[in-house]
Amino acid sequence: MMESILAGADQLFTLPTMLTMLVGVVAGVITAAIPGFTITMAIVLALPLTFTMPALQGVATLLAVYIGGYTGGMISAALLGIPGTPSALATTFDAYPMARRGEPGRALAIGIWASFFGTLLSSIVLIIAAPPLAMIAVKLGAWEYFSLVVFALTIVASLVGRSMLRGLLAGAIGLILATVGADPLMGVTRFSFDLRMLSAGIPFLIVLIGIFAVSQLLREVEDAEEVKAGKQLIDSRISFKPWAAMREVLSYPFNLFRSSMVGVFIGAVPGAGGSIANLLAYDQAKRGSKHPEAFGKGSSEGVIASESGNSATSGGGLIPMIALGIPGSAVDAVLMASLMVHGIGVGPRLIMDHADTVYGMFMAMFLASAMMLVVCLLSMRMFLKVTSVPKSVIVPVVLTCCMVGAFALNNRVTDIYLLLGIGVFGYVLAKLDYPLAPLVLGVILGPIAETNLRRALMTNEDWTLFFTRPISLALLTLAALSIVLALRYRFKQRRQNLALD
Amino acid sequence: MSGASSDSRPQGREPVPHGERAKAVGHIVFNLALLGIAAVMFVHAGGLPSSAWEPIGSGSFPRLMLAILALLNVIVIVKEVAKLRHTAALPSGSVGAWLWQHRLAFGVLGLFTLYAIAMPLVGFRWATLPFVLACQVLLGARRPRQLAIAAVIALLMSLGLDALFRHVFSISLPRGSLL
Repeated sequence: MMESILAGADQLFTLPTMLTMLVGVVAGVITAAIPGFTITMAIVLALPLTFTMPALQGVATLLAVYIGGYTGGMISAALLGIPGTPSALATTFDAYPMARRGEPGRALAIGIWASFFGTLLSSIVLIIAAPPLAMIAVKLGAWEYFSLVVFALTIVASLVGRSMLRGLLAGAIGLILATVGADPLMGVTRFSFDLRMLSAGIPFLIVLIGIFAVSQLLREVEDAEEVKAGKQLIDSRISFKPWAAMREVLSYPFNLFRSSMVGVFIGAVPGAGGSIANLLAYDQAKRGSKHPEAFGKGSSEGVIASESGNSATSGGGLIPMIALGIPGSAVDAVLMASLMVHGIGVGPRLIMDHADTVYGMFMAMFLASAMMLVVCLLSMRMFLKVTSVPKSVIVPVVLTCCMVGAFALNNRVTDIYLLLGIGVFGYVLAKLDYPLAPLVLGVILGPIAETNLRRALMTNEDWTLFFTRPISLALLTLAALSIVLALRYRFKQRRQNLALD
Repeated sequence: MSGASSDSRPQGREPVPHGERAKAVGHIVFNLALLGIAAVMFVHAGGLPSSAWEPIGSGSFPRLMLAILALLNVIVIVKEVAKLRHTAALPSGSVGAWLWQHRLAFGVLGLFTLYAIAMPLVGFRWATLPFVLACQVLLGARRPRQLAIAAVIALLMSLGLDALFRHVFSISLPRGSLL
């Protein structure tokens, strides 16, 4: 084992590898910071560039893009209120209000440290617990997946804002939007109404960009006087205190640990990933907090939960890949491809046959997270300058990036029209005070819920299996508990409000 | 999160401000529209084929969701109609004032619509250039220096971005069917 670790270190700690990793981190941060451009897109674009590199250098570079991307997504989430990537969705809930009240530097610094510690913790879990966790993750059948999604859907209760009814309605709209296009099991086209634009379905990323970016930007320019006076997005002097932020992040060790473990577990479950982990970690942090009323108004606990949760999926996602050869997400599939290009077969024997590469990957995780930390801490002052750019410049530039991101996703012109339609719909929803996050959650979870419900019933028509299989029952019990706790919290709040009145 | 800023609870017999009446009308119209769409989709889902291999077919899950949506729509409509009864009619000209207040947002939306329509026709470069420029002018770039900066930004976002995607990432952004 020691021999393999040293061999891996020997390959990793070379100037060319460290240099390409550094470029990868920077590319990941910048790409993910642009609304509409995702981590998957950055990894796919970087893949061909790694073909000529040795195996470990190639995969370490891609890991660097991956880790940089998870942090980069929070930059536009905090500064523009638009999640740079789906995994930064929950970061907008608190980092943006924090930035708006004049603390953009604090929001970014907390996010960076939370991301760093989240990646670090997930890398440690990856090394220690990869084989047993992978075995649990792949033992989940369709029943357990469906129950997991039901549990994840209870997050809606945390995201609804003041009106539970409007939150549930937004969630239902999301679940229905996800049913447009090809049926996940039979391939039958649903609800396309003979429109080419709808026949391929509504991609999740288009919904995310349209709902958050387009509607947020339109809301930014509502006050004509402010915009014409050259008002910036955030009125504040640049103040970036990374060490104070580090102390603040470490002052919530339980939140940090719990959110990271949520990220690791969700990352290890094939098909889930960062877009769910950040919301689930946020939800758990809110429920466990002594000050849940501060969430959504610029709470540092919310930023810590979201950012450590999503970054921890990077280590979690590698667990089934390294232990069993099963990619947990599209990004993991690309990482697998980069190993296979170099003739390294990915499967249960990977750690035995190519121990040096695997240990090199583990070390690359630590190295990339350290590089991410340094790059982000050094460059954040530059990113913070975005806050001093007038809205008249930010709005068209970000709208153009959204358009490019929407098109580049599938190279489909029809996705541009979809983006426009969903953007207008999102603006209407926002004007009527419907929370947008439950809608996005519905779009993410809808296909997973439907596929696994139908697959479970196809395997065995017995509905009771959802309640008799232990893991499924445990997840459904957690879901029920989650709803009860949310309702209890709401009633308590209502009673307090009435008492105040 | 799009901070839900107002509560939809009925306000008792207290007079409700005009803004609340406008919102109540908005909710009713929006939910009626959603209800109509849900009804059409529900009927459509009934015609989707079922499979011999699974107890629930293609249409069952969407129908369940659509039924839930319709139920929620009805509850919202009932609540908002009840609220409407306790509000006075909107003063004349308030719709016009609201539209005028949101003129820039609608202006940007209009430009964005034109941009989306133009891109497949004239290509990314020639759709983006006027969009970015016009948007900046609409949002306040009027002085010569501001206009010069706006032109540089428009060139970077159109020609620059197109070149970056074409030569570095090997992704061809729309060329335009008319060109």
